[in-house]
Amino acid sequence: MAVYKRRYNSYTGSLTPQWSRFFVLTRFAFADLFKSRFFVLLLILCIVPCLFAAGYIFVANNKTLQLLMQLRSDMDLFKVESQYFIVIMMVQTQAAFLLNCWVGPVLIAGDLTNGALPLFLSRPFSRTDYVLGKLAVLGLLLSAVTWVPCLLLFGLQSGLARNGWIWSHLWMVVPIVLCSAIWILTLSLLSLAVSAWVKLRIVATGIIFITFFIPAGLGEMFNAIMSTIWGRLLNFSYMFQLIVSHGFREESGRLARRGWDEIPIPAAWGSLICLCLLALVILNARLRARETVRG
Amino acid sequence: MTTPTIELNGLEVQLGGRTILHGLTGVLKSRAIGLLGPNGAGKSTLINTLLGFHTPSKGSARVLGLDSHTSGKQLRSLVGYMPENDAFISKMSGVRFVRYMAEISGLPSEQAMERAHEAFVYVGLGEARYRPVGTYSLGMKQLAKLAQAIAHGPKVLILDEPTNGMDPPARKRLIELIREIREASDICLLLSSHLLRDVEETCDEVLILRNGQIASICNLAEERRANRKFLELETIGAEASFTSALESIGCECAVFSSGRIKVVMPDSVEIREVFKVAADRGVQIRRMNHRRDSLEDIFLNAMEQSGAADGRL
Repeated sequence: MAVYKRRYNSYTGSLTPQWSRFFVLTRFAFADLFKSRFFVLLLILCIVPCLFAAGYIFVANNKTLQLLMQLRSDMDLFKVESQYFIVIMMVQTQAAFLLNCWVGPVLIAGDLTNGALPLFLSRPFSRTDYVLGKLAVLGLLLSAVTWVPCLLLFGLQSGLARNGWIWSHLWMVVPIVLCSAIWILTLSLLSLAVSAWVKLRIVATGIIFITFFIPAGLGEMFNAIMSTIWGRLLNFSYMFQLIVSHGFREESGRLARRGWDEIPIPAAWGSLICLCLLALVILNARLRARETVRG
Repeated sequence: MTTPTIELNGLEVQLGGRTILHGLTGVLKSRAIGLLGPNGAGKSTLINTLLGFHTPSKGSARVLGLDSHTSGKQLRSLVGYMPENDAFISKMSGVRFVRYMAEISGLPSEQAMERAHEAFVYVGLGEARYRPVGTYSLGMKQLAKLAQAIAHGPKVLILDEPTNGMDPPARKRLIELIREIREASDICLLLSSHLLRDVEETCDEVLILRNGQIASICNLAEERRANRKFLELETIGAEASFTSALESIGCECAVFSSGRIKVVMPDSVEIREVFKVAADRGVQIRRMNHRRDSLEDIFLNAMEQSGAADGRL
């Protein structure tokens, strides 16, 4: 089928491994994303807080600089402990949420708008491969603004603090990775489900926001009417905060003062898992090569 | 013994609680198979089942010996599919779209790019390959769909209504392309269409569906080889005795509505004997055509016979 010959030839060359093909979707999606200046700007803005956090660590470990800034060492302003990482995690997960709101809604909608999905699924490529490929886009992107910079900050602090700081705080690596992972998974599945359901970006973004705010409000109404606390299970971002606080062994922290830790941790996990399952159900219903008309 | 291209064993498919395909059984051995039938006959459902999109509720379907349900992934690695409806990513340039699809089929990046360019030039869209697919005309979109179906060099090419929305010159060019692809390689072709000419010009065997059932399986290649000629008669006053008299002298007859009769004559029988039989029985022959059996006749015959069977026509 050479261009100059203009005749059809079958392909006899090598093929890529089956398991790696889902990554083609990821690669093409990234190529499209990085064509947008707004996206690049948003990505940079999402990483900016980490630069300030790195500056904070640098100052916290530099007594000379603290003296130059005329800070008394007994003020104990610069402590890099679990509370510090909770704050960083919260800031970065919110940044991840914004990034997800921009990227997620177009990932599947673009393929569904003009019926391209059957072309994917008529190849040796399953619906699972398709979802994995799209999830990998958000997974990699949101990782780049959540656990990866947090681990880099952890590494920076370990390097500067010395005195065995790393060994006494090594346990924090687990909550940093695990909490980021559950947040990334929840956001990614939710935005993919919305993308498979709604074709317009602005509407899809609105639905993602609504998912986090409307159920939380309804939950509080339920609490007020029924004099209970279980309505908070619909407040997904607070369920996540609860998991983060628990992960960083901060039960008696900020949330406890507000009475949020009355919800058991397994229930908080259950709430986020239910949201993920709901998203999977929507994806399962929408990602079909052919729609079946009932009746 | 060669593996049949398509093998249907009591294939039944239910969608949304309705049975769409009713126990299809048949073996199609030719390299170019046409799928014919009126709207709603079940052509697209059959194609979707062969691709593994629908699970058979009973029976099975095999393509090149691979079960569409149990070996779906393996089967799809051999297939190039051109769907009936719009299927493209509007913001992508044509060549990038085809490269994307080829990479998903397993071609390494460089080869996929090379094949995408070749496929685009081959289908005649070389000049438009860098334009977004969303800006293409309907005919160009059809050609882009064909390009993505052949770029990875499939062993089975499934084309669902490929000439939909194309003007006559574009249709002619596409049919030529399909014939060229068929002749240039050992590719098997399954072409679904309601345009008889498309099927007649490209296929060797035809599967005719009606109401989800097989109305006929006809080997066009054999028909062409046999080159059977027949008389098409329009008569007045013809009764069963007339056709049985013709059959007694060695003719095969098929009776249609409004006194139309098709008579296949053996070489030993001459036309004058038909006139003699008609005269003996007082049958008026108002028109007589001496012609070859066309796909249209086969199709209409299949429709009328299956219609008579279920009492609709």
